[in-house]
Amino acid sequence: MSNKRYSKENGWSDLVKKEDWWAVWIGLFLVVSAIIFWLSGNSIKYISAKIPKWTNINALFSSLGNSIGSIILLFVVFLILFSIANLFLHYKFSDFLPSFIVLFILSVLINTFSAWGVSQKYNLESPLVALALGLIVSNVFSIPKWFESALRTELYVKVGIVLLGATLPFTLIIKAGPVAFLQATFIAVSTFLVIYFVATKLLGLDKRFAATLGAGGSICGVSASIAVGGAIKAKKEEVSVSISLVVIWAVFMIFILSAVIKILGIPAGQAGAWIGTSEFADAAGITAASTFGDKAITTFTLMKVVGRDMFIGIWCLILSIISITKWEKREDGTKVNASEIWYRFPKFVLGFFIASALLTVLISSVSPSAATVINTDVIAPIKDIRTWAFTFCFLSIGLTTRFKQLTSIGWKPFVAFSAGAVVNVILGYLMSILVLGSYWANL
Amino acid sequence: MNNNKFTCSQNVRFIFSFFEKSNWLLQKKGTSNNIITENKITHQSVRNLENFLSHRLLRIADMVEILQGIHGEWITTEKNSKIIMETDTFDFNDALAILKDNGFTDDEYVMKIEYERKWGML
Repeated sequence: MSNKRYSKENGWSDLVKKEDWWAVWIGLFLVVSAIIFWLSGNSIKYISAKIPKWTNINALFSSLGNSIGSIILLFVVFLILFSIANLFLHYKFSDFLPSFIVLFILSVLINTFSAWGVSQKYNLESPLVALALGLIVSNVFSIPKWFESALRTELYVKVGIVLLGATLPFTLIIKAGPVAFLQATFIAVSTFLVIYFVATKLLGLDKRFAATLGAGGSICGVSASIAVGGAIKAKKEEVSVSISLVVIWAVFMIFILSAVIKILGIPAGQAGAWIGTSEFADAAGITAASTFGDKAITTFTLMKVVGRDMFIGIWCLILSIISITKWEKREDGTKVNASEIWYRFPKFVLGFFIASALLTVLISSVSPSAATVINTDVIAPIKDIRTWAFTFCFLSIGLTTRFKQLTSIGWKPFVAFSAGAVVNVILGYLMSILVLGSYWANL
Repeated sequence: MNNNKFTCSQNVRFIFSFFEKSNWLLQKKGTSNNIITENKITHQSVRNLENFLSHRLLRIADMVEILQGIHGEWITTEKNSKIIMETDTFDFNDALAILKDNGFTDDEYVMKIEYERKWGML
């Protein structure tokens, strides 16, 4: 990253200075390009680089050979788009280029592995394989500094979620959104209160620390920890510990939730809803949900993005008000403002909604035969491109999660956070599988 | 705590609005918040405004001087009748303490904290 220092004062320049907005621009650019290609009688599928299933080496070389052109084109497109974003986000191209080349090559290997008949037969899910591989490499070996530049977990998952929006009918979001919101809110509030009260009443931790832990464990992980921590002015150490706990639990939950879901044979729709309720981070949740297919990714996104992420601003506003009115008075220049809701709103969610609305309007305005073509020439390629964005994400999570770099936690925050996590998982199971199981399964 | 083990960075932003309606100022007659919004502007309104602003800008200058005196890496800008000071290399609690020690109350500034995950965090 550049060593220059820039004001973080927000304004219209946020549209090009914030990573969230770049996820929107990149995602929508790809969606709009897909539509334009279709309108001109072509298709964006020439860059979607889907690697067909293969079962032996000859088939592998043949399929790679046939796909090499689109793989290279996809690489170039992603390189250009991410490089433009990096220019405004003050990342050096000279650092990013070699790093992204390596990441892309690893992604090709992962997606090739995923298309292998043996891995499909034995359910060797590529997200988990990518994650496990990344974790081993980053925690056992030393990753060179130049490689870090392209490991942008959040950017990739947000681009992926915007592209995901294009594959979901807007009517589905409208229909399922309120249910997701109600379920997610019930569980999030319960989890937050458990963490907060265990932390403050049982363990004697500071209220701001407890609230930051609670936010991380109930709303949206690291994003919530830093948003709430900033809003209520928690100490840097407290936010740091909260982030560490989220990372540890999020990675742990990817494997545990995936294993339990498989053992119990839970259907994809319910699995995604449970993961959406009980995972802490979007990137980690997408990794887990991806092992169960598109339906799980859909219900996960509805639950996590629409049901939880969107409301972080409201949580920040409420907790800010509580911190001023109910907790001990501090002279810290806090002025509560409803603009906090928009400021904290995860902007990439707008891209998700816009992408969904665009395709829904498009499909509803054409004939059924044209709609079929849109599905194959617009939506299917977007899905494939989305898979690549998520693959970048899976690899980046593993390669950047270095447990020895996390803040030392202390047993009290761990106990408080874990109490909430356990309650969260149980409530998530009850709501997603038992109470609303048929709803999520039939969505 | 070892500074290298922090999983986030902290950005501190002090916002000194020229027209901050500080409680201490409100106690002075003629400097209440209807200076700006008053419908019938008279020459006295303008003199009150001048009085208000001169007090306020002096206070801002004092706060800026104190903060710049204890830490050398502020980005200081002016925008929309506000002075904004930002840094990500100084803890906000230390900044608050020094302002309080010098007699400034928290209705004379707005302070915002932004945490940013360090590279690589989920």
